Amino acid sequence: MSQMATRQWMTTHEWMVKPMHQREWIERRGIMIWIAETFTSLGAGLYLVSLFINSWWGLLVGWLIIMFLKLPLHIAYFGKPLRFYRTLPPFSNAWKTSWFARGILFSVFFGTFGFVQLVFGQPDLVNLIGSSVANPIYYTFGVLAGLSAVGVGIYGGFIMNYVKGIPFWNQGLLPVVFILAGVADGFGLAMAVGLAGGDASVSWAETGSSYLLIINVLLIIVYLISARYTSEVAKISVKELLTGPSAFMFWGGLVTLGMVIPAAISVVSLFSGEVPIVLLIIAIVTHTLGAFALKYCLLKEGIYRPLLPRVAAY
Amino acid sequence: MRWGMVINLKKCTRCHACIAACRIEHFLPMGMNWPRLIAWETDVPGEELTTIPVRCNQCKDAPCVEVCPAEATKKREDGIVYVDNNLCVGCRYCIIACPYQNRTFLSRDKDPGYFPGYERTRFEKAGRKIYPHVVGTTEKCDFCMERIDAGLAKGLVPGKDREATPACVNTCQARALIFGDLDDPESEVSKLIKEQNAFQLHPEYGTDPAVYYIDGKIGNAPSNIAPREEQTASHLQHLSTMEERAKQIFGKK
Repeated sequence: MSQMATRQWMTTHEWMVKPMHQREWIERRGIMIWIAETFTSLGAGLYLVSLFINSWWGLLVGWLIIMFLKLPLHIAYFGKPLRFYRTLPPFSNAWKTSWFARGILFSVFFGTFGFVQLVFGQPDLVNLIGSSVANPIYYTFGVLAGLSAVGVGIYGGFIMNYVKGIPFWNQGLLPVVFILAGVADGFGLAMAVGLAGGDASVSWAETGSSYLLIINVLLIIVYLISARYTSEVAKISVKELLTGPSAFMFWGGLVTLGMVIPAAISVVSLFSGEVPIVLLIIAIVTHTLGAFALKYCLLKEGIYRPLLPRVAAY
Repeated sequence: MRWGMVINLKKCTRCHACIAACRIEHFLPMGMNWPRLIAWETDVPGEELTTIPVRCNQCKDAPCVEVCPAEATKKREDGIVYVDNNLCVGCRYCIIACPYQNRTFLSRDKDPGYFPGYERTRFEKAGRKIYPHVVGTTEKCDFCMERIDAGLAKGLVPGKDREATPACVNTCQARALIFGDLDDPESEVSKLIKEQNAFQLHPEYGTDPAVYYIDGKIGNAPSNIAPREEQTASHLQHLSTMEERAKQIFGKK
């Protein structure tokens, strides 16, 4: 009889005897981390996409999401929010080793460079000071803000990927999933900016969104398959995701809302040439909900290897 | 010099005295545990009981030190990893990153006072002056570093002199916890590690914990029941209690 199959007749303390879910970053106040991480994807992704398609309104919305939704939520989650400044140089040099500290630094750089870029890209100001003065500043800070946005979009993946005790997270692909999912989310929101009367090209964003959707579907399949073969505990994470308590979020949120519905609308667009605005709005909303579901699934299924691998057969 | 601990699982009687000693020593809040006893009990004959006392492993390459964004988790030259509660921002990344899960976030609900709903007692207030547990920060075992420092200042030897030794080690009635210098080949811990083939938890993480375990049967048959010839009086008393309990439950099958 295997050890796992035996009946436990009394357990005084099961701490880390069995595979155990991380709770700090998804339960109770941890929900703030989930929402903040999703806003990170949405904001950084939208900023990068807007840089690419040169949409000032997209840049503005992306910047606002990071500065006024993501960062406040992250700071509010801290046990001591007023000590936030202590994570930054010169108070701390933790950026040398900690992805968390690097992430905060990326966010500060992004906030600063993005602000300057937005100011010098503002049409009224450009008219006032002339494009010969404004454009060099706009593009220089655009490059800096873009690099910072990549950092903001990817650091969450590195933070989770570093955790050796959680094999489902401890995979090299995770940062790639984070940044590409963010860019896909950015295309979705760029469509929203275009539809709301902004300067983003809806058709362009829709095409980009379709390509990214295909890439992300493949990436998530590869991620789950590779996780399955990483360790027994990662296999449990995948199993719980597909058939366990998180299956509703995975199949309903990530697959159906985040992938199937936007993909179906993309197919309609491909064959009909033009998509009704209602369908586009549905695609944007479901895609964004899918972004929330992706981060939920990743955070929720962070399961630790037990302390006693030989005892528990892990 | 690197302080370390050897935990002899064959001797542990699961009496929880180490937990109580730590609680008293550090005036721990109600919901806070620095060391833990984890228990695994099955109905397989010969595998009735496994008790593993765990505490912060004071890793040489501690992930918690590396990930802390505020440099609040620090490592001393003697290998002790501790949290500076005046710097901790409470992001809980160290809790997530610790593969041994030996850190705890002190939230408001974990610190209701020993008599919830009433004012703190004079004893509690006095304790807070010595150990100001700060709500909103992370805590963990620090090998009673203040005892070690005070003892060394008096010329005492941690692990040998009680005054310079961690409280849990002092209180262990079965002498299952042994403390000393891992860098000293003549220390008791170094000899035990070498002679009794002590092991670390999850060495594959590359963290090099300073807490080692001895267990004669940890391989295929996980049990820490000491061989009869090694059992102490407290063992026999404890196990007889457990066996009675087992009989009651098995009788119901």
